[in-house]
Amino acid sequence: MSSIRICAVLLAFGAAIYAYPRRVRAESGGPFRVIVNTGNPVDAIDRRFLADAFFKKTTRWPNDEAIRPVDLAPSSPLRRTFSEEVLKRSIAAVKSYWQQVVFAGHGVPPPELDSESDVVKFVAKNRWAVGYVSPGVNVAGVKIVVVR
Amino acid sequence: MFGPATKREGVDGRRQLTALAERGIYAAILPRCPVRCTLRLQILVILVALAVASRAAAWTLGDPDSPSTLDVHGFVSQGFIKSTANDYLVDSSSGSFEFSEAGLNFTTQLTDRLRAGLQLFAFDQGSLGTFDVRADWFYLDYHFKDWFGVRAGRVKLVYGLYNDISDIDAARTPVLLPASIYPETNRYYLLAVTGGELYGFVNLNRGGGLDYHLIGGAIPVELPSQIGAPEQASNIDIPYIAAGRIMWETPLDGLRVGATGAVLKLNETAVFAPMPPMPTLPPLNAHAVEYVGVLSGEYVGHNLLLAAEGGSSRTTLTDDQPALVPPGRTVSGGGYGLAAYRVTPWLQPALYYSVYWPNVDDRNGPGKFQDDLSGTLRFDINNYWLVKLEAHYMHGTAVLSGEQITMGRENWGLFLLKTTAYF
Repeated sequence: MSSIRICAVLLAFGAAIYAYPRRVRAESGGPFRVIVNTGNPVDAIDRRFLADAFFKKTTRWPNDEAIRPVDLAPSSPLRRTFSEEVLKRSIAAVKSYWQQVVFAGHGVPPPELDSESDVVKFVAKNRWAVGYVSPGVNVAGVKIVVVR
Repeated sequence: MFGPATKREGVDGRRQLTALAERGIYAAILPRCPVRCTLRLQILVILVALAVASRAAAWTLGDPDSPSTLDVHGFVSQGFIKSTANDYLVDSSSGSFEFSEAGLNFTTQLTDRLRAGLQLFAFDQGSLGTFDVRADWFYLDYHFKDWFGVRAGRVKLVYGLYNDISDIDAARTPVLLPASIYPETNRYYLLAVTGGELYGFVNLNRGGGLDYHLIGGAIPVELPSQIGAPEQASNIDIPYIAAGRIMWETPLDGLRVGATGAVLKLNETAVFAPMPPMPTLPPLNAHAVEYVGVLSGEYVGHNLLLAAEGGSSRTTLTDDQPALVPPGRTVSGGGYGLAAYRVTPWLQPALYYSVYWPNVDDRNGPGKFQDDLSGTLRFDINNYWLVKLEAHYMHGTAVLSGEQITMGRENWGLFLLKTTAYF
């Protein structure tokens, strides 16, 4: 009987994880916009895919081109929001992750740019780049994508 | 898990092999090395210090818009260890500053899929470090797909959650990782493997992802000077090691669980100096095979870190003088639980409890167990400089060396202060 209860609890736990809401506030009216190059055919990104791209666990777009994520400086309030909502970690935890990766020789973090306009320029210049900016920033030359 | 942290005052053939049989391979091969602060280390430290002082951020050389840049990272650490009794890792009962590390690495993306990297590293930790600069890792990495890549060269040994960063103070919260899974001796012998690695990340969509590493190769062991020692190891080599780790990154962000398995072989030849009136003993050739398994779980969410691991190793020893060193098989085991929480961006306390048995079939008596309750305060002064304060309450002597294993004080305390600058 106890094993049945344990199985039921595990199944409920698994179902809860599976049904865990994945929407983030980037879709409309949220605190940031995710941008890609206008030459990128992608119009919508799964939140987990975006997180894996910024952790460089996933390094390829669906068309097999290399993803080039670009970050803001750690002092940026927008980066803090993006880290908490998309990466689900504090900036300090993200930094800790990259220290592990860098010093184990398994990779390097995305470049960190000083301003959101620099992020827009970077994405406009690099066809397979992805970044994030505030809603009010001029995004001419890049494309806003929906985060699911 | 490959053996507890120990310090040896010399290479004692019989004691080595006894230790090897009883306590794991690496407890047996730790000769006392003279400390030599070489010019090369000074150059490395100066380079890192200059980098930290001049621009405390990673150097990216080349056009930042181009993927083919050269990334440079580095760190310098200095610590102090003091114990209330017993000598652990260094002459800690007197207090010791023999706790230093410096590293500098270079990584470049040569093509869309090809990357190369090199890290220079030097450290001093009692008998374990000699301050010689060595290549911590170097590799060529070809990334065919996210689910399949190949590295060749000297690659970090991915083992459990943290073995590959066990020499990097900035990459973890505690100063000392739990010795039940990550004995300090691993830093010297089991940090990297000369050979190759297959790795990948398989996206399972809503099922999370699978991260895997398969590593194979050999570990060259450089014997230090043993002049004057009555018993000497004339040869130690690890002709092969094979290890694999698979980690399931669950659909719950930050939760990963996995398992590591490894097998390695160690060969050793020990020679004994004449000790009249005793007859001169012939050289002793011994071989050990060790199988290791570790189960791991970690949750990193927002400011919280939880981790737990448990493992076991089985060592089988054979030699050509069974009357002198009886062959045998030993199973050791242990595990730990760790919790850390970032209270503010500059303060992260951590606690862990670790338990270790050198021989799971004999857990009572001096040197038969080790309980370790540890508390750490990590202060991130800024983005490039941290300070850690750590205290351990130790119950047991299994992680000690020499006569302390049986003669050391059973209840003792260990205090560490460490600072690291990194970029």
